Amino acid sequence: MKPTGILFFPAFDWAISPTHPEREERLLYTRDQIFEEGIMDMPQIREYQPGLATFKDIARVHFCVPDIESQITEAHLVSAGSALRMADAVVTGEVKNGFAIIRPPGHHSMTVVHGNRGFCNINNEAIMVEYLRHKYGLKRIAIVDTDVHHGDGTQEIFWDDPDVLFISFHQDGRTLYPGSGFMDENGGPMAYGTTINIPLSPRTTDEGILFILDNLVMPLLEEFKPDLVVNSAGQDNHYSDPLANMCFTAQGYARLNQRLKPDIAVLEGGYSVESALPYINMGLIMAMAGIDFSNLKEPDYSPNKFKEPAGNREALQRIVDTQLRVFREREEVIARTRAKSDRPFRMELRNIFYDTDYIHEQQRVEVRLCPTCAGFRTIVSSARHPSGREYTVGCVSIPFRACTHCREEGQAAYQTLQRSNNQLVYLQNKIDDDYRVTDTRTQQEIKL
Amino acid sequence: MLIGIDVGGTFTDGVLFDDGRILAAVKKPTQTDNLQESLLAVLDELLAAAHGTDINRVVLSTTLVTNLLATGQGEPTALFMVPGYGLPHRAYDLTANIYFLQGAVDFRGRIIEKIDTNQLFVALQDVQHKGIKRIAVACKFSNRNQSLEQQIRDEIMKIDPEMQVTISAEVSGKLNFPRRAATTYFTAMTMPEWKRFANRIEQALEARNLDAEIHILKADGGTMPLAASLSNPCETIFSGPAASTMGATALSRDRLNSVVVDIGGTTTDISLLISGEPLYASKGARIDKHFTHINAFAVRSIALGGDSVIRCRDNSIRVGPMRIGAAACFGGDEPTVTDVFNVYHELKVGDWNRSRELLTTLAESSQMSLQSLCFFVVETVMERLKRSISDMFTEWENEPAYKVWEVVHRRKFQLDRIIGIGAAAHAIVPILAAEIGVPGFVHHYAPVANALGAAVVRPTLALQLHVDTASNLYTVDSGGLTGTLPDPRKFQLTDAKVLAISCLEEVSRARGIDKYTVNASFFMEEQFNMIRGWDRVGKIFEVGIQVAPGFIEEYQGVSE
Ligand SMILES: [Zn+2]
Ligand SMILES: [Zn+2]
Ligand SMILES: [Zn+2]
Repeated sequence: MKPTGILFFPAFDWAISPTHPEREERLLYTRDQIFEEGIMDMPQIREYQPGLATFKDIARVHFCVPDIESQITEAHLVSAGSALRMADAVVTGEVKNGFAIIRPPGHHSMTVVHGNRGFCNINNEAIMVEYLRHKYGLKRIAIVDTDVHHGDGTQEIFWDDPDVLFISFHQDGRTLYPGSGFMDENGGPMAYGTTINIPLSPRTTDEGILFILDNLVMPLLEEFKPDLVVNSAGQDNHYSDPLANMCFTAQGYARLNQRLKPDIAVLEGGYSVESALPYINMGLIMAMAGIDFSNLKEPDYSPNKFKEPAGNREALQRIVDTQLRVFREREEVIARTRAKSDRPFRMELRNIFYDTDYIHEQQRVEVRLCPTCAGFRTIVSSARHPSGREYTVGCVSIPFRACTHCREEGQAAYQTLQRSNNQLVYLQNKIDDDYRVTDTRTQQEIKL
Repeated sequence: MLIGIDVGGTFTDGVLFDDGRILAAVKKPTQTDNLQESLLAVLDELLAAAHGTDINRVVLSTTLVTNLLATGQGEPTALFMVPGYGLPHRAYDLTANIYFLQGAVDFRGRIIEKIDTNQLFVALQDVQHKGIKRIAVACKFSNRNQSLEQQIRDEIMKIDPEMQVTISAEVSGKLNFPRRAATTYFTAMTMPEWKRFANRIEQALEARNLDAEIHILKADGGTMPLAASLSNPCETIFSGPAASTMGATALSRDRLNSVVVDIGGTTTDISLLISGEPLYASKGARIDKHFTHINAFAVRSIALGGDSVIRCRDNSIRVGPMRIGAAACFGGDEPTVTDVFNVYHELKVGDWNRSRELLTTLAESSQMSLQSLCFFVVETVMERLKRSISDMFTEWENEPAYKVWEVVHRRKFQLDRIIGIGAAAHAIVPILAAEIGVPGFVHHYAPVANALGAAVVRPTLALQLHVDTASNLYTVDSGGLTGTLPDPRKFQLTDAKVLAISCLEEVSRARGIDKYTVNASFFMEEQFNMIRGWDRVGKIFEVGIQVAPGFIEEYQGVSE
């Protein structure tokens, strides 16, 4: 039996600010617990060393404004790079599955990066998914976001991508940051149905979440048949988390992963650093490695501590029914959209708020409604940075499986933008792994 | 004058060292059933060579504990484990005599579940019934709060004052409960036999009117006084490879990246010097498939030495792994690896005509030319050594890192040199170095580098202080010190460092090595703010201080 890979990178020398939830202390007690347990010495576990992501790995996902250097620290390169190392080990078959216990987190980061959103600058899972598709040619990937917060960054990045199934369950957006992730957010016109949101009412317990897992998440995965399943593994559904209101336990997390069987789990949020993280992380490692976790519990836990809120089961059943229907109808819906569209592009305006850096970003997004592929994307984005500088940038993204037509048109769109009055213009050509930025004033182009 | 003696598996080596020179070197076969005899025989020859001059210090490296553990001859010992919550109990398989007790401590040292004394008494009765007289006690997170372990010991002693109880907090304070339990168990198991050995050695030295400091070499390349070794017998394991590696360091004395290849009769041990400092095994010494908290060098042992016999079986040439006797050129009856190098590279050591003769006979009987037989053996030896060396590099490069700084500044291992030591190094290492393409270094003291290393290394002591100002507790690894702070709210990193120094002094005094604390340096300084809500409620400090492996002041290198 192959071992489970564990990459533990607590970034003991990195914090957003000294008292911020994302601080050095966050994984200190997790370190204590997993080192004291000695689980890394067991034959079922192989420990991996952190790696460094390259700028190209980041550019495969993000448009960083004004450049990558100003949006990230070395810690981000290590955190993302560590997810990539774990992914390498899993895909090459060195380990049966892998868990990257890393920080800083990433699932609130979107395609365009003007600053930090929800403690995230760059999106570790998205960078990992694009790396895997580029390096190993994987086709279909499923991301299950088990963080209590809606994984709005990951959702936005794969919004128009029918090959990535994004499933997020989270505390209802009406009661928690970032205030999104509702049932009707189902993906872009050419990728309808591969974004599935599961808003849960506050105080949902293990029972509720496992019901959703068994009756919705697992059937979706079975039908989608992904090459790889990623758990975007937040730990803030825990009953002791200070930033949310759910009632999930360490046993619940372990059971969830035992059933979900993710190929790769990547740590996201979770800020109950003493009462939850040490036990959840142990539970996750044990579940992934197939080690009996029945002797694991939080010191203050007792079996009848929590009761599922009244009427929750019926509400959950409605979510299951609706989202299964959305997913099963997706091809039909996309075909209908294609058939009745009279314009070649679908345009959308968006406002994005960065809570940590207090930035308001305006976006105009256009997706080509291509008859044969998912189409390329153009984003024009503007925001005033904390420095006081105002940026307007134009970005073109050509997906991996774009048709020849979309690839050529995307490149032409980039050339047109180069003559626009946006300060910076970006090309993200995933087919050719070609990433460029042009400064329109100097007409200087940098190729990553 | 200084004496160093290394009792190895095949030979016992000893040197008498003074003022940069080895005045006498003795090599005798080890009597595996009487290590004490082997040791004293070598000592007596060295003393004779000293002609009555004062001996300041004798350092012994012995395989006694290693052998006890390898052959399962330690005293029957029960293990009382308090694992609390986490891994299932069946993850712990040190011995059949494990008793799991209720009780739990968490990472902050809080007691979250008490001991059940009735359950403890039942376990104790069973142990007494089996006639077991020693108990090792290990509680998860006892390094943060040892009171449950102490309570267990107290309760046992109340009922059975004859029972020997060893608690894990006093053996090791590092994180990793299974390793701590293993270390405690092996310590409890070997303590009586080691005590008897130490007493006999002490008496023997008294009988010889020897008024010298007696030290025992440890796996970490440092020494401890004989008296201090009584409670830490396990630290003496794997001291042989430590002696060799420190001997290589003593002979090279620079900051290069080196591979140390110690080619003995039956085995070759490979270790690394990173910028001149020996590399430690990241998971501690391994005893009988169990990792421990014993700090030991990262050493790779391969069953291939200068005396490995060359034979022909089923029409193919076999290199080792057995040793029948010395190489033919040194009077042995069968050709060995040394003979092959002797002939192939015309080293002309010993009776090299005999090397030729025996190898020619072997070549004829296996229908090969002498040339191709030698070529095959040399290639085999080179391949195995090179593979082991490159495996070690990879292992070092793949060590985990937990800080951004460590990842960004990670270096690749750039090999500067190969240092050869051991009896057969002269024949093999220069050729290995040439093949790898780096300089080789084989000092003329290389054959006795192990004993030289033992003679000149200083005591070592590593200490890790964990301070939690919110719970107002500090704990120290090792030594089991613990206490509270006078003013936890004002406690800063500088205070933690001062506290670490005073703990080091206290532990050093108890071990009788306090004069070496001037050589101490900090190897870890970490601090964490504990934030609850948006307020700081305390700080956690981790400070590490050590007297690292090194050499006593008298040693200023060897004169050429
Ligand atoms: Zn989520
Ligand atoms: Zn979250
Ligand atoms: Zn297309």
